[in-house]
Formats: sequence, C-alpha cells, structure tokens
Amino acid sequence: MLQSAIEFLKANPLLLALIKILLVFVVIAGIVAYLVYMERKVLAFMQARLGPMRVGPWGLLQPVADGIKLLLKEDIIPAGADEYVFLLAPAISVAAAFTVFSAIPFAGNFYVTDINIGLLFVLAVSSLGIYGIILGGWSSNSHYPLLGALRSSAQLVSYEVAAGMALVGVLLISNSLSMVEIVRRQLAMGVWNVFLQPLALVIYVIAAVAETNRNPFDLPEAESELTAGFHTEYSGFRFALYFLAEYTNMVVVACIAITMFFGGWLRPFASVRALDVLKFSPILAFLAGAGFVLWLGLKSRLSLERYFFVLLAAVFIVLGILVAYPPVLDAIQGIFWFGAKVLAFLYAFIWCRATFPRYRYDQLMNVGWRWMIPLALGNVVVTAVIRYLVSSHGAAHPLAWLVR
Amino acid sequence: MSWNVILRRIFLVDLIKGLRLTFSYQRPGAVYTEQYPLERPAVAERYRGAPRLNNHPETGETLCIACNLCSLACPENLIVVGWARTEDRKKRLTTFTYDLSRCMFCGLCEDACPVDALELTQDFEMASYTREGLIWDRKALEEGPQPTRYSR
Amino acid sequence: MPEATFLDASELLINMGPQHPATHGVLRVKLKLDGERVLGTECIIGYLHRGVEKIAENRTYQQFAPYVDRMDYCAAVTNGMGYVETVEKLLAVEIPPRAQYTRMILAELQRIASHLIWLGTHALDLGAMTPVFYTFREREEILKIFEKYCGARLTTHAFRIGGLQYDLYDGFEKEVVKFCDYFLPKVDEYEQLLTQNRIWINRTRNVGVLSGEDAIAYGVTGPMLRGSGVKWDIRKAQPYEAYDQVDFEVPIGEHGDTYDRYIVRMQEMRQSVRIIRQCVERLAPGPIFGKVGKVIKPPAGEVYHSIEAPKGELGYYLVSDGSVNPYRVRVRPPSLINLQALDKMAQGHLVADIVAIIGTIDIVLGEVDR
Repeated sequence: MLQSAIEFLKANPLLLALIKILLVFVVIAGIVAYLVYMERKVLAFMQARLGPMRVGPWGLLQPVADGIKLLLKEDIIPAGADEYVFLLAPAISVAAAFTVFSAIPFAGNFYVTDINIGLLFVLAVSSLGIYGIILGGWSSNSHYPLLGALRSSAQLVSYEVAAGMALVGVLLISNSLSMVEIVRRQLAMGVWNVFLQPLALVIYVIAAVAETNRNPFDLPEAESELTAGFHTEYSGFRFALYFLAEYTNMVVVACIAITMFFGGWLRPFASVRALDVLKFSPILAFLAGAGFVLWLGLKSRLSLERYFFVLLAAVFIVLGILVAYPPVLDAIQGIFWFGAKVLAFLYAFIWCRATFPRYRYDQLMNVGWRWMIPLALGNVVVTAVIRYLVSSHGAAHPLAWLVR
Repeated sequence: MSWNVILRRIFLVDLIKGLRLTFSYQRPGAVYTEQYPLERPAVAERYRGAPRLNNHPETGETLCIACNLCSLACPENLIVVGWARTEDRKKRLTTFTYDLSRCMFCGLCEDACPVDALELTQDFEMASYTREGLIWDRKALEEGPQPTRYSR
Repeated sequence: MPEATFLDASELLINMGPQHPATHGVLRVKLKLDGERVLGTECIIGYLHRGVEKIAENRTYQQFAPYVDRMDYCAAVTNGMGYVETVEKLLAVEIPPRAQYTRMILAELQRIASHLIWLGTHALDLGAMTPVFYTFREREEILKIFEKYCGARLTTHAFRIGGLQYDLYDGFEKEVVKFCDYFLPKVDEYEQLLTQNRIWINRTRNVGVLSGEDAIAYGVTGPMLRGSGVKWDIRKAQPYEAYDQVDFEVPIGEHGDTYDRYIVRMQEMRQSVRIIRQCVERLAPGPIFGKVGKVIKPPAGEVYHSIEAPKGELGYYLVSDGSVNPYRVRVRPPSLINLQALDKMAQGHLVADIVAIIGTIDIVLGEVDR
C-alpha cells in the first residue's frame, strides 16, 4: 500500500509539493513557538533564575498560553493609520520569512525544492521581509515607529550587503548557487566550508545577528530608547506575527549558515568511513534526553509534574528504540544532524543576547560599513585570487588545499 | 599598540570572556530563585511584620496595661487605645485599634511598649480585599493574620 | 510640536516622560534635539514630592527617623545615619565606639548595596541584561543581614538618636565576614562581563564628560566628583563616626566620563569591603547607647552635618527652637544637585547616550523630590 501511495504522489508532483509545504510550515511554526520558550529558559538559567515554571510542567505550555492571550487581545488600529497597509505589513514579514524555507535542504532527500539559484533566491526573499518593517512603521501614523522603522531597515540593508558578500566567498569555493549542490560539494571536499572560509563565517554570523535585530544590534527595538520601534502601535495577534517573523528569521539565518558553512545535513567527518559509528548519535540523543527529563522529574516537588516527566522519559526511550531500527536510522540521519546544528546556532544567538550590551546606532552602522563590508570584500578578493592561481596551475599548486 | 592588544581585539577575546561567564552560570546550583508558594522564605527573628497583641501564656489575659505609650510613639498616630477603670481603680484595656493601612512598620510602638504586649511579628502576608479589612481591632490583633495557604 | 515636520533640521523638542523605563523613577526630561544631537535638556521633577521636610515639623525627633529612610530608598541606612548624626551633633552627645563601628559596618554594606543597584540598572539600560540579576542576588545577601539585624530589608530605621536600638545578633560578625569573602570574587565577575568589553567601552568612553572644574562649580559630589578627578571624600576630609581610624583608599577617575565613574564605583565597592573587615576586627563589647534622655529636646540653634552617602554628600540642616519638634529640617539631596550637571554632560551627544548619562549620575527620585 505504501508503494501505491508513493506512486500516486510521484504522479502528482503538485500534491507532493503541497504536502511538503504544509509539513515544513507546521513544523517550523512549532519550532518557532518553542524557540521563544527555549530563549526564555536559556536566558533565565544564564541569569541564575528559572524562567517560566507555572504554566505547564516546567512552563512547557507557556507558548500556548502566550498564543491564546495574544489572540484574545483587543485589536487596535491607530486613528489616521493606513488600514490596509497596517494590516498587510506583518503579513509581509511573516510570509517572506517562511518562504525562504522552500529552498533550504533539511536532508539529502528532503527539501521542498532545489532551485539552481537557491542562494540568490534565499537572500532575495529574506530581504523582502524588510518591506514589512518599513510599511509597518510608516502605516502607524506616529513619529516614533516611523523613526524606528527607518533605523531598523537601514541597519538591515547594510548588514544584508555584508552577509551577501561573506557568502560570495563560499560561492567561489562551491561553484554553484544551489543549496543542495553546496552541501554535496562539502561532502566531496571532505571538509566543511567553515575551515576554508573562517573569516566569512565570522562576518556572516555578525551580520546575521544584526539582520534579525538581536542583541547586541537591537537598538531599534529596545525598550529603553526613545524610538520604541516599528511595532509600537501593534497589539494582539499582529504583534505576535512580527514577533514570529523575527524568530523565524533567526531560524532562517541559522539554516543558511549551517548549509553554507557547516555541511548542512552531513554528519561530522561525513566522508570518513571509520567514524560511521557516529550514525548512532540519534539513539544516544534520545536516551540522553530521557535521562535528563527523568532527572528533572525527580527534582520536581509536585506529583503531577513527576508523573508527566516519567511519561515523557518513557516516550523518549520508546522513540530511541524505534530509531534504532536500521532503515529508520538511515532515514533520519540527515534531519537529525541538521536539527542539532540549527539548535546549537540558536543557542549561540540566545547566549549572545544574555551577555552583551547593545551598540548605539551610529556605532552599529560603523561596524557594518567600516569593518564588515571591507573585510568581506577583502575575503572575496583573496579567495578569487587563490582560485585563479590554482585553476591556472592545476591541483598541484601549493595553495590548492585552500580552495580544494 | 602591542601585538598582544591587536590579537586580543581581532579574536574578540573580551567578548569571549563574557560569554564564558554566562555559560558557567548554567550549572545546577546557580539558580537563586525561591519559588514562593512552594518554598517559604526564612524570615528573621527581629522582622518587623504584622503587629500582635500578646496574652499572658498561662492566664490568657492580655498583657497590655493601657499605658498609651505606643500610641504616643507612633509617627502616624494610627493606634487608638481604649481603656476603662475597674472597681479597684485599675486601668483595664477595652478596645485597641491599629490602622495597618497607614503603618510603616518602623517599630517605634514595639520599642515603646514597656511590657512586650505589642510586638511586630514575622507574619508578612497581611493582604485584604477591602480598606476596612486593614484596620485591625483587638481580636484581629490577638489572633494575627490568617492568610489562605495555597498548595500550588 | 513645532509646525514643521520632524524631517526638517529645525530644533525638535522631545519629551522623555515621567513614565520611562530608563529614567530611574518619575523623572521628566525635555530634550532639545537637532536631528540626533542633543542641544539641551530640561529636567522637570516633583512627581514624587511627598513633603518630607514639612512632615518633620510636626513630628518629634525620634518619630521623624523612619521618614528619612524613604527619601533615598535604595540606601536607607545612610539616610538614617546622616539624620541621627545631625541630631547628635546638635545635642553634642558622644556615641560609644561599639555603636560607631556597627554604624560604619552597616553604612558600608549599604554603600555596596546601593552601588549594586546602580550597576545592575545602568547595565540594563545599556542593553546588558544579565548583570542586574547577579547584582540583585548579592544584594539579597546584604538585605538578609539587615533583616536579621533590625527587622527590615529596605526601610531599615536601623539607628536611633544616641546609639543603636538593637545590639548585634549572634553570628553577625561571622556572617558579615562571610559576605565579604563571598562578594569580592563577584566584583571580579562583573568586571569580567563589562570592564574590557568593547561594546561597553564604546557606549561609555567619552560619554557624559564632566571636567573637574565644572563638577565643583555645579556642586556635584560623590562618585561623580571623584570620577572627574577631584579627590574629595567626606569620610576622609571631614571624618565622622570612626572613619579616621580605618584605612581605605579613595579611587578617582581621570577623564570624567561614564567609564571612569563606572570604574570609580567598582573600586569603591572593593574599598567598602576593606573598611568592613577592619571594623569587624575592632568591634569590642561595650555599651551601644550614649547619654541621651527619653525625651529629646535639643537646645535652640542650628547645625549642618553631612555624610558621604553612596550617591554623594547627603547633608541635613537642622534648626531647633528648643521644643520636641524640629523647627526646620532641610535635606541636601545629592541626587538633586548631581542632576544639575545633566544639561552640561548631555550637550553634543546622541539621544541614545542620554540614557547612559542619566544612569551614570545615579539618581533616586525619592531623594530628588523628597
């Protein structure tokens, strides 16, 4: 029966695409909702406190409670605001953020589509999200949101340039704009791009943090500044959409960085047969998760929480055993490693937010235009020169290992 | 600028030092939160909390001699002591009113009382739904606040 | 708002209202801007005025002491100390040494607590959201000591005119020394997060510069004055209690910018720990109350006495007419006098720096408005 289902889907590619889109959308939306929870928890632990604890066991239902609250809030549209644009702006941000996921490969055989100009598409669509910010600020009919929107968009545009130029360095090595092809090149080269283009990674990460308006580059939306940000006049679910868009953008830049620099869905040392034992990591991860949840449950004071955690640990163990079945293990390898790397990246974002003060606006633009862009340009020039030398002299050139 | 300084700037050493500190705070013992209804705070012995009118432990009669010193000592004049003379010309306490809504818990009344009848105890859960509920009469002062304890 | 649109280059008047996360209380600041640059500021205060000085005229000297705690509510112990010493000066009464050293220990602990609030909120205004949790955790330890000593954490009413109401509880010395040992590595932690951090340096270097001459001209005192390079600390210049018998340094800054004031306050916390350790060693059994009657009726006259509060020179000018109520109590609030320098320090800076500058002056509106 499975065979006939697969035949049917192959015969109707549109239906298959729709199913994939739905799956990706639902999963990413869920991830983003729990990213908010993860941020609050990680931030709290770094600040010697606990974070949400009351709403469900260990606050796990907090995103649900927040979602319900935002849905039930009064819908306020400021007087004199351009209604249609006001309603459209958050939708543009969210739509642009989610559309990018159609070109990102989550595993060797799981992606919504593989465009041959994937990287260009991804950068272009994520830039469209800036329209959402500008239109939101402008349509609010109030000075402070407009000033905040202008600042925010200026910051985003400057750092888009830096990010794009950093990625050109990776492009020069990979010979292709297709995201899937870039990961396959990393597999063929036997080394992740981060080791060949470390400067590009640093520039891209800093630009990514600035792109998503995160600390230390979050002046346009900080509460203790005068211009309270482009989303001042938004309340209720529209505000939730902006919020969602910001966190989705975080996931997007994490996914792009992983694909470009860290080998996408490849496991560490993907081309080394001897380390094949690493493919059992998903099992280990589930068992470790079960152990951690059990430890948390034993520490809890309420019996209801304890039962819940023991149940959760049991579920993890069952999943771990399920995953040990070889076909399943091979099938989930790609998505497991991709997910683990994205999680690590998001953790780093939250870690930076917990630690650093924020840059003033002019210092922010300073960093972008005087340091990031020249450095990225320099990186591109050096990489291009080395490639030229290597290409005209063949693989025997002493610098060939720098560009593989 | 020396090489040391230049290298530290390039490799973001100052930022990494800060990152290391916040990372180290995720160890299990570092959490400082006291989860209130489940974990109750350890209140000091001398804490100036809700007032209480003490009774003699054996006879059960009030220790207050209606000397009015607490009322005179209070900066806010919120204590009203009512007394009457008994047959043998001794003063006896009848009513004692304490307006908790204006009290600033300075402890001057407690310091002034010569017989340790008026005492500021360690109870801090004194909330009331009405303003009148904060004006305590003699009975409320002798019993102390009776907060509803929540288990969760 | 002026007739022209905000995109014009004419002067813009922006109001940083009484309700604002970064003004440390109900302070209203009107900013005159030229684009992003600040041309001038005007502070409107009085949103927290409670008539404390008028209340004093209708209370006895002992009854007024709890009200004094509520002025600078972040540093109640030093407020109380200033008032009590002023009345003692008027009464010309001697305090026994045990009371003096206890007062010094509590005052220095309060100085650390006040600087911890300053550090946490200043860092929070500038975007670093973790130091505030760490500093408040250290503050908890100090407030626990206060609670065990006098029964209240924030509005302590710790001292009485003539000495102390409570003698030290069992284990006070041990706890205080334990706190000192626990606290010094924490100061190193804050420094690890902020002092060398390039973003912090970028936000605070050359921001809010106040030269030494300007500081003296405005009457600025406390860490602001010392950050501008003037070595003036009332604990050294006009010692009160037993400050002339303990050994400590007075840190001063060089450029008078926000970064120097930050360094000065961090060093002051370390010096406070040094003072506390010495005072604990010198505690000896003895009386805790001087020769003061139950009813306090100072002779008619006037006196001015000031102490080094965490925010600057806290002064009390007391006029007595011989009755049980003071005739006039005038408080010299350090935050109010320091706030005058905001205009001078803010000129030429960007709007985002105003928040940093208000944070570095370290104001408490309870004190500014009384």
